Amino acid sequence: MDQQELIVQLQQGDGSAFKKLVDEWQHMVYNTALSIVQNEDDADDITQDVFIQVYQSVSSFKGESKFSTWLYRITVSKALDHEKKKKRKKRFAFVQSLFGNEEDEPVLPAEFNHPGVQLEKKERAAALFNALKQIPDQQRTAFTLHKLEGQSYQEVAEIMNTTLYAVESLIARAKTNLKKVLSSYYEKNIPE
Amino acid sequence: MNKKEHINKLVEEALESVDQVSRAEAKPFLLTRINARMNKETESVWEKAGWFIGRPAVAFSGLCMIILINLAVLLFNQPSNTVTPTEQVAQSPTDEFSYSIATIYDTENTQP
Repeated sequence: MDQQELIVQLQQGDGSAFKKLVDEWQHMVYNTALSIVQNEDDADDITQDVFIQVYQSVSSFKGESKFSTWLYRITVSKALDHEKKKKRKKRFAFVQSLFGNEEDEPVLPAEFNHPGVQLEKKERAAALFNALKQIPDQQRTAFTLHKLEGQSYQEVAEIMNTTLYAVESLIARAKTNLKKVLSSYYEKNIPE
Repeated sequence: MNKKEHINKLVEEALESVDQVSRAEAKPFLLTRINARMNKETESVWEKAGWFIGRPAVAFSGLCMIILINLAVLLFNQPSNTVTPTEQVAQSPTDEFSYSIATIYDTENTQP
């Protein structure tokens, strides 16, 4: 079954087509979400959200872009929204702590280890993921899609709905910022 | 190797650490979880409606709307002074409190 046929069946509300869609794209959606939110449970929730939204809004998909591009857009948007919500919650918890209510004090997240990273590179990758959290969303998205999802600059431009030149610039700036953050990190925590 | 060179090397290694990364895989039975969640969401439509109506902003707006509608009804339905008051049919007290008792003899004997 080709993609066009699958989409038509989905638009007709075919349950088996939805199963095929989930089987085919679940790892791509999960990996993208995980690379952005850096938490397995959150990435799992986002993956579910993405497929529910696809099921509910597939009728509005007009085929102007590739289906994978549309799916990436939904995933990135949901993951970034999730990050924003999390930051808001942290700020709210901080305000609460100022007023003496420290019952819901947030637990600091543990160091993130992406399951796809080779064992000998885990330590360096953890530092990189930590640095990724400190750069702007657009740069992080472009870098993640290119490096962790293996998308070409052109594909990243389509997903982010921008130009090829803008993506080149975003990735270059992301690398520069990551280098700064990592240098500062290693200056304080230089391994033996 | 001095410290700066060492740091630069570490930074480069960190940036290259995700070069041959393999894709992380979603947890098993994802479809089952999605279906369960979709069913749950369908069931809770009324809960969502209740939650929406119960939001302070919505509840307050609704209350204001009701008050405004009531005020509008009161203002527009006030009796106007230009309208002639309905004439009341004045009944004479004699009609109201008539002492004459109408009997069958009165109607038959109209003439004295």
